[in-house]
Amino acid sequence: MFASIEHTIAQLREQQYLCDRKLATVAFLALQMRKPILIEGPAGVGKTELAKAVAATLNRQLIRLQCYGGLDEAHALYEWEYGKQLLYTQILRDKIGRLFEGVGDLHEAVGQLHLHEDVFFSEHFLVRRPILQAIDSSEPVVLLIDELDRAEEQFEAFLLEVLSDFQVTVPEIGTVKATTIPYVIITSNNTRDLSDALKRRCLHLFIGYPDEQRELDIIRMKVPELRETLAAQVVAVIRRLRALELRKAPSISETLDWAQALVLLNADALTPTLLEETLHLLIKYERDTQQVNERLPWIVESLQSRSSPETLSAAETPLHPPARPAEPDVNYLEQRRQEHTARYFTSYRGRTDGRTGG
Amino acid sequence: MDAVINRFIFLLKKQGVRISPAESLDAMQALAWVTLQDRDTVRAVLCSTLIKDVRDQPVFEELFEQFFGLPKVSPTPESAAEPPPHRETAPEEPPATVAEQTQITGQPDGDNAHEDALDIRDYFDAESMATHFNSHQDANDLSLAEFGQNLVLSRNRDLLDQVMRKAMQLLKARRMKNAGRAGELNLDEAIAALDADVIADAVTELLDELNDMDVDENLIKQLSSRLDGGIANLPELLKRYLERELALQPPPKGSERPRRAARDYRFSEQERREMTEIVHRLCRRMRGARSYRRHISHHGRISVPLTLRRNMKYEGIPFQPVMTHYRNEKPRLVVICDVSLSVRNTARFMLHLVYNLQSLFGQVRSFAFVSDLVEVSACFEQQGIDEAISTVFNGSLIDTDVDSNYGHALSLFHNRHLAVVTPQTTVIILGDGRGNRNPPQVWVLEEIRRRAKQLLWLSPEPRGSWKMGSCDMPLYEPVCHQTEVVRNLRQLGQVAENLLRRSVTPH
Repeated sequence: MFASIEHTIAQLREQQYLCDRKLATVAFLALQMRKPILIEGPAGVGKTELAKAVAATLNRQLIRLQCYGGLDEAHALYEWEYGKQLLYTQILRDKIGRLFEGVGDLHEAVGQLHLHEDVFFSEHFLVRRPILQAIDSSEPVVLLIDELDRAEEQFEAFLLEVLSDFQVTVPEIGTVKATTIPYVIITSNNTRDLSDALKRRCLHLFIGYPDEQRELDIIRMKVPELRETLAAQVVAVIRRLRALELRKAPSISETLDWAQALVLLNADALTPTLLEETLHLLIKYERDTQQVNERLPWIVESLQSRSSPETLSAAETPLHPPARPAEPDVNYLEQRRQEHTARYFTSYRGRTDGRTGG
Repeated sequence: MDAVINRFIFLLKKQGVRISPAESLDAMQALAWVTLQDRDTVRAVLCSTLIKDVRDQPVFEELFEQFFGLPKVSPTPESAAEPPPHRETAPEEPPATVAEQTQITGQPDGDNAHEDALDIRDYFDAESMATHFNSHQDANDLSLAEFGQNLVLSRNRDLLDQVMRKAMQLLKARRMKNAGRAGELNLDEAIAALDADVIADAVTELLDELNDMDVDENLIKQLSSRLDGGIANLPELLKRYLERELALQPPPKGSERPRRAARDYRFSEQERREMTEIVHRLCRRMRGARSYRRHISHHGRISVPLTLRRNMKYEGIPFQPVMTHYRNEKPRLVVICDVSLSVRNTARFMLHLVYNLQSLFGQVRSFAFVSDLVEVSACFEQQGIDEAISTVFNGSLIDTDVDSNYGHALSLFHNRHLAVVTPQTTVIILGDGRGNRNPPQVWVLEEIRRRAKQLLWLSPEPRGSWKMGSCDMPLYEPVCHQTEVVRNLRQLGQVAENLLRRSVTPH
């Protein structure tokens, strides 16, 4: 149980999850207000980890529903176990036959059968999928609905009833109400906008990249074998990489992978060659690699200036990477451009004023 | 506190953030669970309960700073998108009294939320000033006491409204009589005519009401001691109020510059037929996403429930297997078309393409831009091809005479319409990528690509000239799934052919 915001931070820290006050506030409120949390943010900043940490802290079971395109209610809520139903009908054939002893006509038989209908549409024949499991559990659980944006909009509609009232309607049985209120965490990578109806029911949280100090703390906690100076260097390089306009900036999980790799490589200090050799752990796109290689001197610069951890808090100003190296032969290009534009626009019928641009 | 939060939510809504009543209730509930001593906690609580879209976060942060601003805080840098119209009036304010300040906030809400925010900030400065006299609060934290006082004062907005309105009415009546030039104020006269009793009454009423609530004694004393000053300063107040009123009035109509006469954009029957045919072929390539429901068919996977159900009559022995598969949905299209001068000749062709796409697919959203971006789906749906295209070009929707600015248009799309791009959407951009050396904003395109199923760029300009001049195509090209050069029907046909061939060949 989270007693207060400070308590939440401390408890999550025990589970090796470092969070800022904002995150803790939301995690605390979600428990008190019994509201789901909707977490958005880039990949690898610890959205799913939060659910695991919360489950461990609260000592609850974690039920995970991974969303994907084409996910439907049969996989998320419940499904009837047709095979079992059929099997039981076969086995119980004698008993069913006995039901109709002394029944006069067909109408009467149907009426008789109707009385026993609910035997085969009872909870015995219901396959519980994650959401029904979470609601039906006798112990409170943590329900993680991961990457909801991958599922279709229609699927969100199924969730609405669950999220606001914590109940599921199964047509044949009726409404299944939650015996215990689950702690719901929904994550999204923002590949599409979730519906307003869903957002309205949730507490919204955006997790971004951590600041320098917190990232250093995280590395210290998760990779304790890494040397102190090396950790500082790692953070400095990661920060510079994020300042570049990369298609996929390295997130915390990549930082940790890299730190782990450096430990395995028995590195003492981060040298430019080592950085170059292990760069593929951080950069996932070819185009990004190119861009990083161009700016390598600027990134390496951080290694020298930041060899001691004391200077760490000094630079809080946003980093600005140097401009790309100027293209060769600017004059030549400029000249060609003018020639070209002249030709380009006069070749248009509608354009006789000689103005360029537009 | 409710009133303060309500006011804050109201201001957020004015800035265009969508907040439902349920969310407001959530915010209030949530605040009850935390202490109000810590500014960051309050910020986190309000942000997580009210702001459900990351794009709204900057607005929230800015408004939070202004609304719950610290006394000596330097003004936060305004977002470049929305420069406040009357920023200058704020700093040169005389060191005003508490009473006066409350009256400033008492003015009726204008259309401009920024002004409101400004006022609120002034008002809070005064508030914290007041608390300094009587308390040991740290200047740098927003305490519960402040919250409480804010609450009391903002309850009386209606009352103060009335006072200001009355003053205005009198003033306006004067102006009518004098028939001076519009915009010129004769304040001395107006004030002389202003019924001083009205103000005095209102202020006493306010004080009484304050007494009823448990507010800081000192604050009330201060209020009453400065009352006289407040009335004396009224002319100044009124002047500022009037200035704002005038500024809020919409600029006079009729100043629109004459639009270029619409050229005749006619298409021959031949052109139309060819285009339709090619677009049909193109569409076959642009498949939609897998549908959500499975359909019964002759191929696909065996569906156990359905098979069991159908074979009940054979006592459960599966004689007739039932197979289901996912059908492909019709594609959703978003078309963004450049209609600037540089592509004028091909823009006609491009819009023709847009029109055809829209008539063939159910779910097409089309946008046209030069520098501003506007949605033209409705216009293309309701009008015939020729009328629709001339509507776009004659400048009634967007200004087609300015230089094209791809960066600006893309940012606008990102801010306003990004929600139309889903993983089922194919985005087609038609344009030459000549942004006239404006920032190209490639990141927007990357964001679109990340969200969309497919991003296609059709440029009318031959690939060879992309490297010349201010063309940003080399930057845009690697982001797109595919870029093609299309400037006439024949080339479009080739592109369609290539796309088809590629889709037929096994992966």
